[in-house]
Amino acid sequence: MSTTDAASGEGRSLPIPKPRGRIQLQEYALVGVVALILIGGAILEPDSFLTTDNMLNVLRQASVVGVLAIGMTFVIATGGIDLSVGSMVAAAAVAGGQLVDSGSAAFVLGALAMGIVLGGINASAIAYGRVVPFIATLAMFTMARGLALWLSDKTPVSLFSLDGVRWFGNGEVIGIPSAAIVFLAVTVFAWVLLNRTRYGRYVVATGGNREAARIAGVKVRWIVFSVYVISGICAGLAAILVSGRLASASPIIGNLYELDAIAAVVIGGSALAGGRATIVGTFLGVITFALIFNLLTLMDLAVEIQQITKGLIILAAVLVQRRER
Amino acid sequence: MTDAPILEVRGLEKVYPGVRALQGVDFDVLPGEVHCLLGPNGAGKSTLIKCVSGVVEPTRGEILVGGEPLPVGAPSASLKRGVATIYQELDLVEDLTVAQSVFLGHELRRGPLLDREAMRRETIALLERLDHPTIPPNAHVRALRPAAQQVVSIARALSHDARLLIMDEPSAILDDEEVETLFGVVRRLKEAGVGVIYISHRLDEIPRIGDRVTVLSDGRTVATGLPADTPQGTLVEHMVGRKVDQLYPARSAATGDVVLSVRGVSGAPMVKETSFDVRAGEVVGIGGLVGAGRTELLRLVYGLDKPDTGEVYVGGKRLPAGRPAAAIAAGLGLAPEDRKSQGLLLDWSLTKNVSLADLGRFRKGPLIDGRGERGAALEQLRALKTVPDDGERITRELSGGNQQKVVLARWLLRECKVLLLDEPTRGVDVGAKSEIYKVIADLAREGLGVVVVSSELSELAGFCTRVLVMREGAVVAEVGGEEATELELLRHAVAPTDTQPVIAGEEI
Amino acid sequence: MSIKHIAGALTLSLALGVAACGGDDSGSSDSGDDTTKEASGSTATKSEGPVKIAFSAPGADHGWMAAITENARDEAEKLGDVELKAAEGVTDSAAQADQVETLIAGKPDALVILPNEPDALMPVAQKAMAAGIPVIDVDREFTEQGAFRALITGDNYGIGYQAGNYFADELKCSGNVVEIQGIAGIPVTEQRSQGFRDALKRKCQDGVKIVASQPADFVPDKGLSVMENILQAQKDIDAVYTHDDDMAEGVVSAIQNAGREDEMFLTGAGGSKAAMEQIKEGGLYRATFLYNPSMSASAIRMARLIVRGQGFEELTEPEVPSKITVPATTVTKDNVDDVMNLGF
Repeated sequence: MSTTDAASGEGRSLPIPKPRGRIQLQEYALVGVVALILIGGAILEPDSFLTTDNMLNVLRQASVVGVLAIGMTFVIATGGIDLSVGSMVAAAAVAGGQLVDSGSAAFVLGALAMGIVLGGINASAIAYGRVVPFIATLAMFTMARGLALWLSDKTPVSLFSLDGVRWFGNGEVIGIPSAAIVFLAVTVFAWVLLNRTRYGRYVVATGGNREAARIAGVKVRWIVFSVYVISGICAGLAAILVSGRLASASPIIGNLYELDAIAAVVIGGSALAGGRATIVGTFLGVITFALIFNLLTLMDLAVEIQQITKGLIILAAVLVQRRER
Repeated sequence: MTDAPILEVRGLEKVYPGVRALQGVDFDVLPGEVHCLLGPNGAGKSTLIKCVSGVVEPTRGEILVGGEPLPVGAPSASLKRGVATIYQELDLVEDLTVAQSVFLGHELRRGPLLDREAMRRETIALLERLDHPTIPPNAHVRALRPAAQQVVSIARALSHDARLLIMDEPSAILDDEEVETLFGVVRRLKEAGVGVIYISHRLDEIPRIGDRVTVLSDGRTVATGLPADTPQGTLVEHMVGRKVDQLYPARSAATGDVVLSVRGVSGAPMVKETSFDVRAGEVVGIGGLVGAGRTELLRLVYGLDKPDTGEVYVGGKRLPAGRPAAAIAAGLGLAPEDRKSQGLLLDWSLTKNVSLADLGRFRKGPLIDGRGERGAALEQLRALKTVPDDGERITRELSGGNQQKVVLARWLLRECKVLLLDEPTRGVDVGAKSEIYKVIADLAREGLGVVVVSSELSELAGFCTRVLVMREGAVVAEVGGEEATELELLRHAVAPTDTQPVIAGEEI
Repeated sequence: MSIKHIAGALTLSLALGVAACGGDDSGSSDSGDDTTKEASGSTATKSEGPVKIAFSAPGADHGWMAAITENARDEAEKLGDVELKAAEGVTDSAAQADQVETLIAGKPDALVILPNEPDALMPVAQKAMAAGIPVIDVDREFTEQGAFRALITGDNYGIGYQAGNYFADELKCSGNVVEIQGIAGIPVTEQRSQGFRDALKRKCQDGVKIVASQPADFVPDKGLSVMENILQAQKDIDAVYTHDDDMAEGVVSAIQNAGREDEMFLTGAGGSKAAMEQIKEGGLYRATFLYNPSMSASAIRMARLIVRGQGFEELTEPEVPSKITVPATTVTKDNVDDVMNLGF
């Protein structure tokens, strides 16, 4: 290979056509997939799938992993990963549950605070302790779970009395589930943050080429620190949503949420290695998986089919990404 | 030297969809000759190499090796005919040993097992032929310096009984001392009757090692078979297609106050206590061999690495150590050694790369003012005559010289006071180099202080106001621009002149 | 890695409740016997001195498994002449095997073990038996006779069967039933499912239809999502059979959120206090089936008797039986007060 890339126009070249952004293709592909699922579902389960009630149900269910996936997008954009979000959700729920007698606001604050603290521990280890994200969050994965079991003494706390929290999980605003509203609000906020602010630009720069970003004056350590805190906050939010729906703060929830979140981010088109992130893609990824889960359960298909289907979709999404290169 | 050429290329054409890479190339190489190949980026040199080495199938035309037509599109066939290529990004596997690398793909065997002893012996013999008997055959490739790795690559080519060796910019990663050693190897090959195609941007190398020169431009042979001592000006004219008055612009002189003052900065193990000043209007060159500590010095000044001792003052104010963001805020800018891996985000648009160091300027409330950003970036790209000057293009698509301009544009946007440039013309063809020199001179004239680190001593001698020479971590000489010649600078870079490191500049 | 982690821990922990059956109190220190050679294997008996028992159970992720370990410890303390050495609960079968090896090296008099995965732990159990250390297998059955001296287990199939009978009676053999299973594919789930179906088939032939059957991994949040989706698909549900009380909490939430409590009734399994309280109140939660973690306490007693060379007093046989299956007790409003103390 010599110094010239093939693409730098050897010889007399025609003007290079503006390339369609790689991410855009992935997003369009996902919209297509969602459409396919909707059509397929309407045919296979005509009475129950494409109803308003069910669609709102899907949105409500998608909200928990959805919020986590949005946070995960920031983490993955810097080239990191957070394996602990599921356990953090449990720990945050339990933390809130300890304050059940002080009212809904206390629950919310408690859950968010725990999320921030645990996220902050991840952030410190990774940004300043220079621990590899995989290892640091793997450690938190078990620690947070242990914390949840210990704080709760392995028993769930009933949140029956906390109307405010239950509203988050089950309420509605003009017919739209409040959980979905939270999810949508987080999505919009995250989109603006990532695409239209300096901070978002710095996040993507850090993941795209950390050294170049540093040379250009980006405070990369602070950026890396911040994204894990964001992930923690999202875990706290997700904990509020799921505990509200369950009307219970249970220490054994949140299993494998992190894998679902990561899968949604990946099929959405964000690069696992960092430097390329799309909030819209993540949103669509979350919706895709939620629709599949819903449809296959409606059809009462064996769980193995669900798992195989999910795996195939992830594989297909990754292959599409590779072809784009 | 026998008369029948090893390689003959006639009327070669290659068309890619949308691109006519070669439009008629005629070229030949005699055995035992070093034939230099010149041309700006995009001229078709790499495509020509790919055709000759069998990687790519030409659209039209003939390639004869040893009088026989080359089977097309089959790299292994080319290898069998004795055509080997040494790429600029060496295609060695770092984890293998020297002997393993040399014989990768055509290992010697005894029965079904590898004959390691035979390969070891052969490798030693090959290295001796190249006058490098000291490279241990069982050393891992990653432990060798780039110059030695290159020798291994050449040995590999020889192990295939190469009759024609194509070397693509071999001197790009070497300093002047190592280049001499490389020339020694090439001369050995000549003696053995091997024909060499030698591609380089460094014009001064041609008379030293070449026998003949061919210039490509726009996919065509513009001039072929020129004698190696053709004057540089003529060569450049052929390449660029017009008269180029001068490769180097007029030297700028210091006009103002000291804008950068480095005092006693050191960073183990590469940089010993160093001090120098830069005034507004000056272009200060820093030369030296690889390993002298030049890049490391810049990194310490800029704050990428934390210095062990010393202080840096910008415009009279002390800079907090070890923080690039603080350096930028004070008015420093750094264009790093490897623009692709350290300077730019290749997947980003030009606009985003240009604005990265000064995003705070374009604000609409908490959001980025996209329009303002695009406008300002375009202004800078145009000022530097970047091609294409479309801010939405992806940076990866630009040629090396233009990518370098993007890096410069970033600091121009920021309105720096001092620019630190590390190898700004590495991998850039001659035409673009000239433009960059001019840009640097213009910037100095406008009042910036510029520091240029380069491995090409001739370039430093050509246009810097003054040149500092580093050796083994310390500045050992300072030479004024007019007096500087490549030879003089090399002398300081290589041999100890006196033991006292020179403090170049005034006390604050 | 993480799937195994969860699967292993959850599998066990959930809702296996076995009522302490013939929990005879006769394990009295009647050390009058002389040392006798056991017919089965070369287990020497010890009529005097402390009984050293090694104990290993998977990590306590959850109430049931934690109760297993706690009950074992408490029982050992109560018995006075038992020295218990318990390994730290781990969730990985290989890690548990390593721990048991270490325990065996300490030459205990007996080993009480709840294996994370019976197949993976069998070699090390056989090793113990060969070394003259009697093995008491708790809950998850070793398939090789030579791997254990005695087994005490709950009756997963029995839970399913009893549930099936209960449903058959309550529904008068006609209606739509939804099954929410535990972790798909493991023996606990399979047996509870199979027993349920067999009972229904036998009593009702095809009168009762299982309209949906989905796993929810023994966790409440999965129970919630799965039930939410099923509620969308099925507009007419008469009863819900769940494999686990903790998981059922999520299912209950889903039904309540949809406002369909009056449409159906629900049963769980395991015997959690929360479930029992809801049963007592009456309404949606109609019944649960005990699978009591007290079996580990019984296992300790059995180990002690074996080491002392004794049997159960109430039985005529001189030795401790080699297999004890503890039946599930159906807990409904009628008898919930009696068993409330057994809830975990």
